[in-house]
Amino acid sequence: MNALRIVLAAVGEGRIQGGWEYVKAAYAICWTGLSLYAVSLWVRSRRSEAPK
Amino acid sequence: MAAMLQRLWNSGPVRAVRAFAAHPLVQRSFVVLTLAVFAYAAWVGLTQAPPDREMGDVQRIMYAHVPMVQMMLLAGTITFVCSVLYLFRASWKTDALAEASAELALVFGAIGTTLGSIWGRPTWGVYWAWDPRLTTVAILLVALAGYLALRRFVDDPERRAVWAAVTGIVIAVDVPIIYFSVKWWKSLHQVQSSPRTVDPQMVHALRWNITAFFLVFIVFLVVRYRIALAARVREVTVPDAAPSRTTQAVAS
Repeated sequence: MNALRIVLAAVGEGRIQGGWEYVKAAYAICWTGLSLYAVSLWVRSRRSEAPK
Repeated sequence: MAAMLQRLWNSGPVRAVRAFAAHPLVQRSFVVLTLAVFAYAAWVGLTQAPPDREMGDVQRIMYAHVPMVQMMLLAGTITFVCSVLYLFRASWKTDALAEASAELALVFGAIGTTLGSIWGRPTWGVYWAWDPRLTTVAILLVALAGYLALRRFVDDPERRAVWAAVTGIVIAVDVPIIYFSVKWWKSLHQVQSSPRTVDPQMVHALRWNITAFFLVFIVFLVVRYRIALAARVREVTVPDAAPSRTTQAVAS
């Protein structure tokens, strides 16, 4: 009975415990990647507007 | 402002919408709106949506991974459409849009695949598996890198545009294969996450994130398209780089 309660508790809380480090890494990569690309677009855009 | 809008509208609805969208204030407002929606969507996905019953908080990666990969597929489709259009009616505008969308497909695809890989470690136990979905995405990313390299290696703008259009069409064959791979082969990767396949409690966060990434995609695509078009116009207006069809293409 005790074992069943442990299993059910685990199901209720999510079988993968923790995992925030993966979430943080994923969102950091996503935001950094998009920000760097935005900066590269901004730089290229300024360059393309500059008179040759 | 009202008088200006009225004057624009009198010149024709399409022209009015174009002029309205080209106004710097409208563009800046759109970027601010995009950032606000992006911040709200991230907050909803990270703090308001419930954890998944089996994946726990790791499932929150889906709110970034799914829209990123969707934008990759959208960009790949735009590349295909522009490539076909270019071959039927040469225009630097469709060529520039094909280049812009191909680069966005690579950027969104590379980041989206990395997020999926991070999600795979705690859920599948590995960062990477040669599952049909992952393999077809990897093929698309390598092909897109080749497509962009091809554009850099060919100097003649007209020849480059034709070669790129043909390559873009060949590459785009992979887009529907990626989409349907999870249905056709039913392997490790789960079926598409959409409002119909996820829990109703998570639909709100998913919809907001898809909207946010779509707005970011639009901003990036417009800026990248302008860069590509400006480069093309600069190339073909130099005297010794104006072959027969070039003049027509610039005009359209």
